[in-house]
Amino acid sequence: MAGVLELASGVLPLLYLALLIDYGATFFLRTRTHMRRPWLVGVIAVHAALLVARGIHEGHPPVTATSEILSLLAIAMAAVYAYVEFVHKDRRTGVFVLLLAFLFQYTSTILLAGRAAPAETVPAAWSRLHVLPALVAYTALAFAGIYGLLYLLAQRSLRLHRFGVFFDRLPPLDLLGTMTWHALVTGFVFMTITIASAPVMFGTGGEGAMTAKVISKIIAGSVGWLVCAAAVLGRWLGKWPPSRIAGIAVAGFLVVMALLVASGLLS
Amino acid sequence: MAEISVIGVNHRTAPVAVREQLSLGPGLVAQLLKAMRAERVFDEALVLDTCNRTECYFVARLAMDPVAHVLGHVARLKGAPPLADTGVFYRHDDLEAIRHLFRVAASLDSQIVGEHQILGQVKDAYRAAAEARTAGFLLNKLLHRAFRVGKRVQTETDLGRGSAGVPQAAVELARHLFSSLAGKTVLLVGAGETAELAARAILRCGAARLIVANRTVERARQLARDLLHPPQAAACAPETDDQACLTEEGLEEAACPALQAQEFEEAAAEGKTTATPPSPPSPRQAATEAIGLGDIPKAIAQADLVISSVGAPEPVLTHAALADVLRRRDAAILMIDIAVPRSVDERLGRLANVYLYNIDDLDRLVARNIERRRQEIPRAEAIVEFEAAEFGRWLASLEVAPTIRLLQERLGDIQKSQIERYGKKFADRGELERFTQAFVGQVLHSPVTFLRDLSENGSTSDRLAAVDMVRRMFKLNENDR
Repeated sequence: MAGVLELASGVLPLLYLALLIDYGATFFLRTRTHMRRPWLVGVIAVHAALLVARGIHEGHPPVTATSEILSLLAIAMAAVYAYVEFVHKDRRTGVFVLLLAFLFQYTSTILLAGRAAPAETVPAAWSRLHVLPALVAYTALAFAGIYGLLYLLAQRSLRLHRFGVFFDRLPPLDLLGTMTWHALVTGFVFMTITIASAPVMFGTGGEGAMTAKVISKIIAGSVGWLVCAAAVLGRWLGKWPPSRIAGIAVAGFLVVMALLVASGLLS
Repeated sequence: MAEISVIGVNHRTAPVAVREQLSLGPGLVAQLLKAMRAERVFDEALVLDTCNRTECYFVARLAMDPVAHVLGHVARLKGAPPLADTGVFYRHDDLEAIRHLFRVAASLDSQIVGEHQILGQVKDAYRAAAEARTAGFLLNKLLHRAFRVGKRVQTETDLGRGSAGVPQAAVELARHLFSSLAGKTVLLVGAGETAELAARAILRCGAARLIVANRTVERARQLARDLLHPPQAAACAPETDDQACLTEEGLEEAACPALQAQEFEEAAAEGKTTATPPSPPSPRQAATEAIGLGDIPKAIAQADLVISSVGAPEPVLTHAALADVLRRRDAAILMIDIAVPRSVDERLGRLANVYLYNIDDLDRLVARNIERRRQEIPRAEAIVEFEAAEFGRWLASLEVAPTIRLLQERLGDIQKSQIERYGKKFADRGELERFTQAFVGQVLHSPVTFLRDLSENGSTSDRLAAVDMVRRMFKLNENDR
């Protein structure tokens, strides 16, 4: 079983890479394929099956180790994007979301391969009250980073009057701004829940020792919350322009992801 | 079965002075079709009449000169002498006629390749022929296939994507800034055909309010009225149709209500929906306001789009007058300056939420789109070629198959009648039946193989001639066709 899981973990990034190439061809080369959505749903289903299988094999939900969280982020991003594509019938942002999903899963696979000790187990309540909101918060922050970057790219092409790929293929500027904003608000709400639930969980048998890994996770979460709070309050109270919000989203996302990866390397 | 042919003139073969002599309009087209039906010269006929072409697609019943015949009718209907120069006419038969129609429907034969109006015009022509009952089995099949070809080219290539005219380029820019133009406020400063066309195109995409600024308020009021209640549009208005509302994923998004209405109509015609069609917003529904140039700062605070076309040596929309107002805006504003010299101070374009474009930018966008359409032509031609070949094969099999069937039935009848007549003289009737069946099969083998080979490799004329010969030789009943 361990061997099968190992193999599946190695294949999964390749599946995301194939999706990425397909969506990339659509975006940059304007090619049209007709298998995208079933393929995307299929990869998500395979990923979900792998997570369930890993959880059964290791005897606990895969929600604590950094490799596991990154893998969860990858599937969450793919799943949210599949929903967005289904609702809006718009495939233009797929390549960017799936790029991140691929990077998350690829990093997860690398960290998993280098993991010496088995991941610690956690009480189920801890998973529901802390880990799941954290997953939603980080996914939202990732979407904010992606759509913030796309906003800045679209804005740049419009301001410089460049009628190239980004002018052609990206969604309208106001839509990208709205998507960034919604993602930041979602991130703010769920990150607040995550941070609020953390002290409670520490007192009920979760991670007790303040290891370097735990500290880096706390820092990552705090930075994520600060980024979302700054953007939300700045827009709401300070009427900051969408371009500044997008910039904060991108910068904040990059910092938080770097901290998360660092916490993984410390484990 | 008769062959399919087309005769006609278009913008390439005849100048406008000649085309206008042949141009009919919907009323005269209906009369022409009625006259052709009464004369029974054509088995089936359809007339496609636009500003760039007048064509007649027909399935001929008799051998005759279709050009002279159609010209005679047109002259009678228009009360004018027949056109003298028939050299401007082109004629295509068989597969070439099918290919020509498919190219027309795919807008490959249009003056502006990729324009969307032509498919609707072909549908109108078909509707007129159906109402006049001159569209029969063949033209029905051919036209439906042509609609499919047009749709395939639209969805599978970028032939029709992007604007190919300056007014539509303004809408395209607006669509890159705003996901929907519904509810937006347009400020039109000055006058001019291009600016007015751009404003009209934006209004058709759902803008809710129009503010017109001019040197005099009365002139502004007049302009506002003209924009909302335009004079009767010319039959030819390429690039002023709702393709301006198309986004990059246009056919999938159908964000423009006018385009949604058109697509709904197509679905209803194909029996795919019975729901109430959406009403496309007409420019009449937009609220209007007329102001003088001095009120522009107040108006610009409310506008989402500004189209400026003021004839003046210096900018009319100045940085000094508008910078503070624009800085205080929360939402983005698109400013399009069509005037030469420019009427909008270029420093305004450096403000955070202002996106300023001039006529050079629009021309560059149009040129890029036209070049992109040109690059899509081979893909579109490949679709046309594939569909034409497929339809041609289907048509070919249709003509020979019933003839072969009738031939087999006729010989089968002869076999049965002879067995009835002579069967008593043979001891083994079963053996007689087997013998006669084998004999009939051997007799039929060569002509049937010959006919089938013709359906695959021969021209329609050869095939028709062969079918006609077989029918006359074996006295196959005319009514069985």
